[in-house]
Amino acid sequence: MSFEITLPRLGWDMVEGALASWLRQDGEFVRTGELLFSVEGDKAIQEIEALDSGYLRILPNGPQPGDKVPVGTLLGYLVPQEQLASFRFPGSDLPDSPKQATEAMKVVEPALVTSQEQAGAPSGDGRKRRIYISPYARRLAESLGVNWQMIEGSGRAGRIMAKDVEAIATLGELEAPIAAPISIWQPPPVQPVMPAPALQPATTAARAAMSPIRRKIAEHMAKSAHTTAPVTLTSEVDATELVSLRKTLKDDAASNGQAVPSYNDLLAKLSAQALLEHPLVNARIEGDEVVQLATVNIAIAVDTDRGLIVPVLRDVQTKTLRQLAQESAALIEKTRNGTVSYEELQGATFTITNLGMFEIDAFTPIIDLPQCAIVGAGRIVPKQVVVDVGTGRVEIRQMMVLSLTFDHRLIDGAQAARFLQRVKKFVENPYLWLVG
Amino acid sequence: MREMTFTEAAREGLAEEMARDPMIFVVGEGIGARGGNFNTTVGLYDLYGEWRLRDTPISENGFTGICTGAAMLGARPVVDFMFLDFELDALGGIINQMTRLRWMSNGQVKVPIVLRGGVGIASTGPHHSSNLFSLFMHLPGLRVVLPVFPADAKGLLKTSIRSDDPVIFLEHKKLMNLKGEVPEGEHLLPFGQASVVRPGKDLTIVAISFMVIETLKAANLLEKDGVSAEVIDPRTLAPLDIATILESVTKTHRLLIVDEDFSPSGAGAEIAAQLMEQGFYELDAPVRRLNGTFVPGPLSPPLEAAVVPNAQTIAKAAHDLLVE
Repeated sequence: MSFEITLPRLGWDMVEGALASWLRQDGEFVRTGELLFSVEGDKAIQEIEALDSGYLRILPNGPQPGDKVPVGTLLGYLVPQEQLASFRFPGSDLPDSPKQATEAMKVVEPALVTSQEQAGAPSGDGRKRRIYISPYARRLAESLGVNWQMIEGSGRAGRIMAKDVEAIATLGELEAPIAAPISIWQPPPVQPVMPAPALQPATTAARAAMSPIRRKIAEHMAKSAHTTAPVTLTSEVDATELVSLRKTLKDDAASNGQAVPSYNDLLAKLSAQALLEHPLVNARIEGDEVVQLATVNIAIAVDTDRGLIVPVLRDVQTKTLRQLAQESAALIEKTRNGTVSYEELQGATFTITNLGMFEIDAFTPIIDLPQCAIVGAGRIVPKQVVVDVGTGRVEIRQMMVLSLTFDHRLIDGAQAARFLQRVKKFVENPYLWLVG
Repeated sequence: MREMTFTEAAREGLAEEMARDPMIFVVGEGIGARGGNFNTTVGLYDLYGEWRLRDTPISENGFTGICTGAAMLGARPVVDFMFLDFELDALGGIINQMTRLRWMSNGQVKVPIVLRGGVGIASTGPHHSSNLFSLFMHLPGLRVVLPVFPADAKGLLKTSIRSDDPVIFLEHKKLMNLKGEVPEGEHLLPFGQASVVRPGKDLTIVAISFMVIETLKAANLLEKDGVSAEVIDPRTLAPLDIATILESVTKTHRLLIVDEDFSPSGAGAEIAAQLMEQGFYELDAPVRRLNGTFVPGPLSPPLEAAVVPNAQTIAKAAHDLLVE
């Protein structure tokens, strides 16, 4: 190892001093006991002996003769012969090991930041909520591969303890206990009017602890169902123009190898335009206030192996369809393979859910709190439609039902109906929203 | 195996050592023909006379200093302070000379000396109830020994007498009549070996001195509530066997430290800090301490009962820790 040369303390109360001069040259070999440099203390100049042997390497950016510096300031090194070749001043940008060390640190740092970030999941109002977890529980969670941010702790003030992690880790094992009761609103018990008939209990096929994500969905849906005042409006729209628009875009995209906008992307884009025109719908309740949001962030419901996950397309109002197509394809891919980040699931102002591929016509979606509304798209199906009542002309048109659930706490039926009517108009006349 | 009291067991250890090594002698107030206020030397005066059982005037600083000198010259004195509180009058020489001479002489001078005295609150009022464990843990060169069970009293006193460093051997007054099995003849217990006196799995309770007895009672109460407590007696606070505590916490992930002595800068603070440094990622809850109230030992029995942890308060602290 190299030996540090530092400014020595000449008297017990000396706190700073100056290097008077080096008595040896940089690179020269110095033996223990030989005079190395002189120091100007408060009272006198004193010559200092080398305490070790080695080649003198004077710190290039160290104190210059005459500079007053604190006792202990590094002045240089005495480097043993065998290490002379590999010696580098710490912090120098010469190649070899120092640089690699810096690189290694760069790799470590983001990981630390990430784990800090993960410690706070956004709460309902968008602010970070601090999650408390014991050191042991956290290490246990990491070793068992449990995502502890999804756990509701049973310790004091919701702190996550090892037993909560263990309960989650027993997922899939039959008869596994649920770690903590789900905070679903429970209706008050109702006295049965008639005694329940003595039925044979149903045979259990399987019983398993809820997965963390299932628990989250359960809590969230139940909360929405029990705290919002949901009303669903349905409207059958003529999607013929939308279908032909998509076909055109598809043919064009295929020819230049770009992402094809899906119906969800088209619906997101045209909904964004309708939301800008109806800001009351692009809103949420915060405490006693209704907050209208300046940006339109649209969540797309994605069905995955793990359950329903709803990633968010951001700033839809300012993005082109092509951008949206690329972003949503990437986002959905990440959602399906489980690499979607927490942030990418947050901050939606409106949601689109689509059950068309399952031949569903209309349904009653549940609002994803704290949003105001959600629109459900049904299948697009050709139907005979009277297009001219006067002549009685009937055409085959591509029809689709839109199901809008809105929170009657925030807006009234007419406001919601006007919004849905605008969406219908945009579906039927895509040129209207293409001009923005 | 035969049963004997803590004091009888310690006395047997002392007697065996005195028979083995003529350089061992005892000094103290009333330890000669009277046999010691706490019967620490009963019967030994008849065997060895006043040459080796030397009654002293009330002059702790003087006779402790003499013993430091005697130890430097090869003797192995046992200084019997009766109450630990009395030792405070000799503290200057103990700290500045006795514990430092070996270091200051570069190991050329050894000071093999045993300081013993009764500790703890036992209807003894403010002047006779000190524990002061951490005061002695804070002195480099001094061993701090606190046996709880009679067999340990014998084994640790024999090891203390054979130690080449000064040892403070602290006997809780409520333990002196505690009975237990004691091995006959050579029974030497090394320093720095904690004892798991009761195995358990839900939490670890490290109890110091007499608190081991109360904690064992608490563990029985806890067992009725379905809680399995592991109880550890460190036996020596310097050196401290943190490895055994850490091993236990690695199993239970929760640690409660029960000490009749005060909490600020106390033995529990040291144990908690070391455990945190070495076993942070084993902790499923913050380390908790339960200590005697931070007041001089009161003389009034109801007040005395209120300031010392007991089986009920220990069990309650354990329950609190489990839901932490």
